[in-house]
Amino acid sequence: MLLSTVFAAALVGAGPTSKPFEFKDGDRVVWLGSTLVEREQRYGYWETALVAANADKNITLRNLGWSGDTVRGEARASFDFNKPDAGFTLLVKQALKLKPTVIFISYGTNEAFEGKEGLPKFEKGLEKLLDALKPANARVVLFSPVGFEELPRFPFAKERNEALRPYREVVHSIAQKRGCCYAPLGELIALEALRARDVKPPYQLTDNGMHLTEAGYLGTVDAFRASLGLYPRRDEELGTLRKAIIAKNELFFHRWRPQNETYLFGFRKHEQGNNAKEVEVEFDPLVEKADEEVAKIRKGLK
Amino acid sequence: MRHLIPLALFALSPSFAFAQRDAKIPDPDPELERKTFQVAPGFEVTLWASDPLLAKPIQMNFDPQGRLWVASSEVYPQIKPGEKADDKIIILEDTKGAGKADKTTVFADGLLIPTGLEPGDGGVYVANSTELVHLSASKPGGKADRRKVLLSGFGTEDTHHIIHTFRWGPDCRLYFNQSIYIHSHIETPNGVKRLNAGGIWRFNPDKTELDVFCRGWINSWGHAFDRYGQSLVTDGAGGEGINHAIPGGYYLTSQGPHAQRVLHGLNPGSPKYCGLEIVSGRHFPADWQGDLITNDFRGHRVCRFKLQDDGSTFASREMTEVIKSDHPAFRPIDVKMGPDGALYIADWYNPIIQHGEVDFRDPRRDKTHGRIWRVTAKGRDLVKKPKLVDATIPELLKQLKSPEQWTRQQAKRVLKERGAEKVLPELGEWAKGLDGLDDHARLEAAWVRIAFGETAPAYDFRQIHDPGVRAAAIRNHAANLPPAQGTDQATQRCYVLAEVACVQGVTDPNPRVRLEAIRGLSRLRFPSAAEAALRALDKPMDRVLDYALWLTVRELEPYWLPEFQAGKLDFGGDAKKIAFALNAVGNRGTVKPVVALIDGGKVPKENLHGLYLLLAQIGGADELVKVLAYAGGDAGVTAAQRTELAQAAEDAIRTRKVPAPKQVPGLPSLLSDASGARRSAMRIAGLWKVQDQGRLLLGVVEDAKSTTEDRRAALDGLVAMGGPSMELALAGADDKKNPAARRDCIIAYTGVKLDYAALKAAEFLPDAKPDDELLDLFAAFTTRKGGATQLAKALALKNNKLPPDVAKIGLKAVRASGQPADDLAAALTKAGDLGAVKKPPTADEVKALAADALATGNAARGELIYRRKELQCLACHAYAGAGGQVGPDLTSIGASAQADYLVDSLLLPSKAIKENFDVTRVVTADDKVIQGIRLREADGLLVLRTAEDKEVAIPLKDIAERSKSTKSLMPEGLTDQLTKQEFADLVRYLSELGKVGGPFAPSKARVVRRWQVIDPTPTNLNLFRRTRVSAAAELDNPFTWAPAYSKVSGDLPLAELPKFTVWADTAPQSVIRFQLDVTTAGAAKLKFSSVAGLSMYVGNAPVEPKPETVLDLKSGVQTVTILVDRSKRTEDVRIELDDVEKSPARVSVVGGK
Repeated sequence: MLLSTVFAAALVGAGPTSKPFEFKDGDRVVWLGSTLVEREQRYGYWETALVAANADKNITLRNLGWSGDTVRGEARASFDFNKPDAGFTLLVKQALKLKPTVIFISYGTNEAFEGKEGLPKFEKGLEKLLDALKPANARVVLFSPVGFEELPRFPFAKERNEALRPYREVVHSIAQKRGCCYAPLGELIALEALRARDVKPPYQLTDNGMHLTEAGYLGTVDAFRASLGLYPRRDEELGTLRKAIIAKNELFFHRWRPQNETYLFGFRKHEQGNNAKEVEVEFDPLVEKADEEVAKIRKGLK
Repeated sequence: MRHLIPLALFALSPSFAFAQRDAKIPDPDPELERKTFQVAPGFEVTLWASDPLLAKPIQMNFDPQGRLWVASSEVYPQIKPGEKADDKIIILEDTKGAGKADKTTVFADGLLIPTGLEPGDGGVYVANSTELVHLSASKPGGKADRRKVLLSGFGTEDTHHIIHTFRWGPDCRLYFNQSIYIHSHIETPNGVKRLNAGGIWRFNPDKTELDVFCRGWINSWGHAFDRYGQSLVTDGAGGEGINHAIPGGYYLTSQGPHAQRVLHGLNPGSPKYCGLEIVSGRHFPADWQGDLITNDFRGHRVCRFKLQDDGSTFASREMTEVIKSDHPAFRPIDVKMGPDGALYIADWYNPIIQHGEVDFRDPRRDKTHGRIWRVTAKGRDLVKKPKLVDATIPELLKQLKSPEQWTRQQAKRVLKERGAEKVLPELGEWAKGLDGLDDHARLEAAWVRIAFGETAPAYDFRQIHDPGVRAAAIRNHAANLPPAQGTDQATQRCYVLAEVACVQGVTDPNPRVRLEAIRGLSRLRFPSAAEAALRALDKPMDRVLDYALWLTVRELEPYWLPEFQAGKLDFGGDAKKIAFALNAVGNRGTVKPVVALIDGGKVPKENLHGLYLLLAQIGGADELVKVLAYAGGDAGVTAAQRTELAQAAEDAIRTRKVPAPKQVPGLPSLLSDASGARRSAMRIAGLWKVQDQGRLLLGVVEDAKSTTEDRRAALDGLVAMGGPSMELALAGADDKKNPAARRDCIIAYTGVKLDYAALKAAEFLPDAKPDDELLDLFAAFTTRKGGATQLAKALALKNNKLPPDVAKIGLKAVRASGQPADDLAAALTKAGDLGAVKKPPTADEVKALAADALATGNAARGELIYRRKELQCLACHAYAGAGGQVGPDLTSIGASAQADYLVDSLLLPSKAIKENFDVTRVVTADDKVIQGIRLREADGLLVLRTAEDKEVAIPLKDIAERSKSTKSLMPEGLTDQLTKQEFADLVRYLSELGKVGGPFAPSKARVVRRWQVIDPTPTNLNLFRRTRVSAAAELDNPFTWAPAYSKVSGDLPLAELPKFTVWADTAPQSVIRFQLDVTTAGAAKLKFSSVAGLSMYVGNAPVEPKPETVLDLKSGVQTVTILVDRSKRTEDVRIELDDVEKSPARVSVVGGK
């Protein structure tokens, strides 16, 4: 499914910073965002496309998406939700701990519910996040926020997309200002949603106007690739790779977001903290092994 | 000679300890388990399904075909690294109709601790850790191979708190719960929904519409709907029994913008309950219909409660258990009515429950067993399983009138899945043909419409005869408004219908209808909604209505308050309504209208105190002056109100730093007041630096007859005042003639000059009397940053010997502070020549002590040890709701906790802390350390419950540091003074609490357990001499009352009661009292064990006590005072509350501390 004309149009529209993003051998990509990013890890289509498009390089990816999150790390604060900066501090800590060389940032959709009044807060928040991530010395990709699919059951999508537009502009202008890569994912997915209505048979990217379904992630692989300027590959070869990536993601999820945090690392760790080493010591080698499995399959692609 | 327990010296042989541990794993034969069941008369229990058909059931729900879906987890409590999550959803079927499952199908596997499930929409909705997913099979009858993620972002901080308790509501919305440690952030097309603690979600999967239905609870694993859709909830870690959940309501431990006030459960002092079902249908006898069934999973009981209307809410009463057992692995955790009208109970079957206290990897955790039990009524026909999935639409509509709620609900589900196009036209026809009186069938029809996302029909409310249906009709409109208040016609119609319904309902003759209307109005975001809600005040109010109105008025504040301030809205000029509204919002912006209201002179008397209190909370200096003048000068103010007002004024000055006015005319009269108001007045004099009063305060300090409380208040005032009066007062730190004043002056000094205070303390301590009040001196150092170190230095410098008992009190203060103070502990140990600090017991020693308790301990003796004052057990722990609230209620601790856990808890209180009893530690800007259990946080204040069972409010802006302490509020070393035998007795007693069949089993009797007694202090005796003993029964009496609690049996031991003789040669007496909470007035009776030597007053009216005394009770809290003539009575006192036949009264015994 090549959509070169529309994509080209979108890329032109997105301005000069949207030249292809160059990955390097050994890159460690850390991906920050909300539900869109979090759910990608269980389907793996986008990550698979990224790895496959760079089959000559060893790239490891760590998905730190968290549902309901914002540039202020609101969803991550857990028991400290009343402390103004707790979520943000955690967000930054989680990212830096993984020693990224590339950071994907995908925020804005949740913030846009606050409309015009929320815009300055978003802008400041994104700047603050980028500043805080500087110690990583990583190349940053700012993905434009993804909007809403217009479906008959969700008549509000149009209005929501209008509210989202200035948020996208903020991401774009910050990317330009800071010289980081702007990936017009939101724009490209919007085009894909329009196209999905017209193909035969027509299909939807989402069930609820907001969240990509599994079919939605699959259907937007090209949009994702194009947003980074990556070359497409034939998808049917990638089933094994995708499976290995999903398995790696699941292990990593249990490592960084284990259940029972309260007892393992939190304020009740004096009760079950003895079991925390299971997570801290035993998971990491498993995740690394899963990375190796991904690498093995990737090398086979060449 | 008492032997202290040298732990290391009596380690028992390891084989014995090991045997004890193994003894906990019972024989898993289901028949052996069944034989332990004591079943309610007229019922029997059979095994419906058992391992290997299923293992470790967590939740179950039937589908319309009558198949039982079960979520089960062997991974719980924690996945192992590298382990593949492989938990399952299984379907159990009774294909032969033999009353026993004969087929099991694994519908889905590869799940991670699925804690909830609900079949529907061609598959099953499942709680899968951070997500809510829908699983379905692409081939009919096949295994699930499709997984749709519907919602994600649920917290997983605790695997027995993650989302659970899935239910289809009568409206076909999916309701599910999360518990206290869970923080969820869920994206929906209508915004991100966040819930940072427990609560119930309401979800419409068709549109990804998600809302918080209500908030709170610790671990609420039970939710049932009655036939009108009212929600009842149980809490698996809270102790308030059945809760009546109202839309948007806040319950225990809530988080959210209005968390400062919560609604409580209907059975305070209950054990914890898991699961909830409502009995409905022809198989059960008539007197069981509408009763609630839940599980005391710790006490191995399946319990039954009867609900009765009580104003806008319900009264709930425990009945004889459905099942009780002493089988250690019988863990009933879910309960459901089945398609045959029988009751099904899921038995998790595990000797170990929970996972906080017991190691994740404890080998005693059972991973393979599980049972489903079926309860049937003997000699009654089962219900024929209804035909639903293959039925025609008219047949399904007919089932909406079924006597079985199971059938009505499942019929709605099948209709929903048939689709709106097919169903709605036929539904309309069917509803038209209904009998005019068949309100309930029309309600079911409305619910079907709601299920399809349609608007409920526009009713003429006067035509609905059944008040339950009127209430439900209001909710159907108000709870289903479109998320955005758009301008299109359909949306506007929804809002108009909701408004019309609520406005009619708010003055309905039935209180529950008014309740729904009040809450419904909170959804209508415009000013007149508040005005409409306040019209409820024109009708009789009750506690829940008052709460609902308070919440609605607060939620609507952004809409009405600006209009009110602009003079565009005046609530009809009705002072009562304005007072209510202003009180509810407690907003600083409302000072002017509050003053105007008071000055207008039209406020009803009963509202005046509330308004002044509000003024104290929100006002500035001028307003506080007004409050103090009222408190000190108005004859209509009671002593309790005076104290409350003065306290509120003091809090305002302290927390909001309200500056001093020029004159405080009310202060002198308050300074000479006999009530607690005086103490606040002294502190106010200091905070506002009213130097003129310095002399008076100094006099109080110097007066040897002053009470400790008064003296300390005066000193607080003087320290705040500063200047010469303070200097003069603090010189008392050297006054050897008045040791009590000297001690308190040193305490006061810690806030002025810490190192000097430490030196003075080191000089004073060698001569100090080792009494309870000395603890406060040490605490003044240990609860101040750096204080312990200063005192340790001073003790070393002076190098004086301390009496051992004094040093021990010091160590007690160190332990109670919960912070490391090794230097002070060492200094005290040295100065007092105390032995080395005890080492914590090893795991083997703990096991040996546990085994010893079970082998040699005597529970009856243990109870008496538990009640000893010096052990302080009663001061912190309640039994059946009566007692201190600092620690967990111990009603069924023995049935849930292993003996080694009990030993651990006594010797190492911080090793395992029950959820919701974790300690928050705060250091304030002036270096005070405050620790306590976080009760709530709202309005810029953090409220903690301290180890002394006091609620302390700390302004957030005064907090310099804040952390979660890993220490329990329970001090270490409480049992150090016990002999080995006494310790064994105490553990044995605790281990028997709640065990079915024993003398300490939970009881349903409504026994008076919480008492207050008059201690024969000189002040109290003088008061008696001035008046008479029966003055104790007067409202607003001046006596000080101390708490007392019944034994588990309900007996209040007479020997423990203080007695006194007022005049020489008169008989010794005791005075005791208790309270009854009357929510609906009427007759109720008290049953006495005997009445010898007793005289009784209800309020201040004498009532002759008889073995069964019938009382005619007015609504409100009523105090019953009893004088005991000790020359005529030696027997303990036991009083039980009981119903009078046909009486409308709803009465409960007041518990608490």
